[in-house]
Amino acid sequence: MSNGQDFEEKERERKVRRTVFYLIFAGLVLIVGGFLTWKLSGLILPIIVGALLAFVFRPVKERFRIRWLPHELQVLCSFAAIGVVLFFAFNTLRKHIPDEEQKLEFKVRLKYKLNERYRQLVAKLPERKSNAVTPLIEKEVGPLMDKVNQALALDPKERDLFLKYAAGYNGKPPIQSKFVDYFWANQKTGKYVIPEKTPTSPAPPVAPVGVAPTPAPPASEGASLENKLSAWMLAPLIFVFLGFDNGQIRRFFISLVPNRYFELSLTVLDELDDAIGRYLRGTLLECFLVGLALTLGLVLLGIPLGIAVAIGVVSGLLNAIPFLGTVIALVIGVGYALIAENVTPLIPGLNPNDLALYVLILVVIVHVLDDVVFQPFVLGSAANVHPLVVVIAIISGSLIMGLWGMLFAIPTVVVVKTAVATFFKELKDYRII
Amino acid sequence: MSARKFAADKLLWETLGRWKRSSPELDRIQFLKTVPFFDRLSKRQLKTVSDIMFERTYDTNEWIFEEGQPGAAMFLILDGKIAIEICRETGTTHLAVLEKGAFFGEMALLDDTPRSANARALERTRTLALYRNDLTGLRRRHARTACQIYRSLATMIADRLRATNELVQMKTPADMA
Repeated sequence: MSNGQDFEEKERERKVRRTVFYLIFAGLVLIVGGFLTWKLSGLILPIIVGALLAFVFRPVKERFRIRWLPHELQVLCSFAAIGVVLFFAFNTLRKHIPDEEQKLEFKVRLKYKLNERYRQLVAKLPERKSNAVTPLIEKEVGPLMDKVNQALALDPKERDLFLKYAAGYNGKPPIQSKFVDYFWANQKTGKYVIPEKTPTSPAPPVAPVGVAPTPAPPASEGASLENKLSAWMLAPLIFVFLGFDNGQIRRFFISLVPNRYFELSLTVLDELDDAIGRYLRGTLLECFLVGLALTLGLVLLGIPLGIAVAIGVVSGLLNAIPFLGTVIALVIGVGYALIAENVTPLIPGLNPNDLALYVLILVVIVHVLDDVVFQPFVLGSAANVHPLVVVIAIISGSLIMGLWGMLFAIPTVVVVKTAVATFFKELKDYRII
Repeated sequence: MSARKFAADKLLWETLGRWKRSSPELDRIQFLKTVPFFDRLSKRQLKTVSDIMFERTYDTNEWIFEEGQPGAAMFLILDGKIAIEICRETGTTHLAVLEKGAFFGEMALLDDTPRSANARALERTRTLALYRNDLTGLRRRHARTACQIYRSLATMIADRLRATNELVQMKTPADMA
């Protein structure tokens, strides 16, 4: 056998050994990875959130390039800038987040106003429609109102606290007498609906007051909350460490790629990075625009600026979940419109009593604006996913990971879609398939 | 260059940089300094370029890239030998054999037009690859460094064009026919 043939034989053997080694290694990585994912499933979400935040804020880091500063100091500067902006944003928002007293007041007002509207509806009906409609409405909406009343009822501890606040407590001025009147009216409301629906029930309908058994939270609940909190500590850590990364992670993964796929993997990674970045940042911008449009609309409808901003921020953030974001915006907006008092719309000719209807129209307009202007303008074709896929993805996401699953469903679909499309295109371009 | 910048550049960060750098990194910067393509760059600029380069090792007869594939990176030979060749049905034409310090595939730094030839390692070869989009990124972050690289690229293309023109002029009308 000549030297050349000997060399080729050895090379062939080496190739086989290499393939076997890679296969065993890949199998081991899959098994260990699967086991760790299963065991550490609680850490996945904070890691994803931290990584996504680092990804979204990367352009900010890029903007803070100061040539004569080392990379670490540049990153620290960008973190400081992000921190200052977030601090002021949260500080401003915190002023509009209701405290304990305002939450109690809000619950009391909502319960009172909802019951008042319900009573008005039932009382108005006979004038307009036939008498047969009233029992039907009472039969259908009554149980729902019972549930709403139950959900909004204050427990004994909250009642005591409300009464304390009503008289002035913890250095705060007393609650307006009007809301205290609502509170007492609400106590009677508890008796109002239930007897009609359950005439044979021997139990008094105001049972929850003073009777509600409030089981002490088990010790494990506190421990699990602690675990969750410590798991979420990972998110900022991941954010910081990925922020300090200067391409080392990418280089590491590229170094694992066989030479044959070197340029291909660089191109695929880059296109994916570009597409996902555009999608995520586009979604953030879209959420901001939706929130801004809602806030402006609510201000024009006469809702106080602080409340309008709070509703705008929550609705804007939840807009990342298709369909559901709009529904939640609607529920929050109409919910507030129902309890709002002394509202003077800035648009002349609007009747303050129909505020809930105007909010409904506003949410629809913003939704249409989002679909027709914001999404095509900001996202372009990046989120070009079939509506059926969107619905299935959201339901699947909610089944797997609840609210977070719903939030991440569409980004995941977009990432997978882009990855598959880019990968196949490049594989063909590089004549690998 | 202002006095402040000079002081920061030469005294402070270079000293800190020297402490931080590992010896393979220093070796790489020393090597880049010898490559004509980067001869206009300062040491700090070379460090920036070195940070975005990928080191790849190819075995004997392994393809670095093949004709027709979209180009994405330029390669620099750290050590070893590379053959540039064109394969046709009639046979393989060897265009050049490149050794340590040479670079190839530089047109990929401009666009992703398909490679015009194959590059194959004639022996175990270590290369440094500069990816097009990394150079584009460098243009945003270190515009001056990127400009120098593009200038080198333009000069090199101009030289080649000049050489090609001379070749064409040397050919007689009879040859052309």
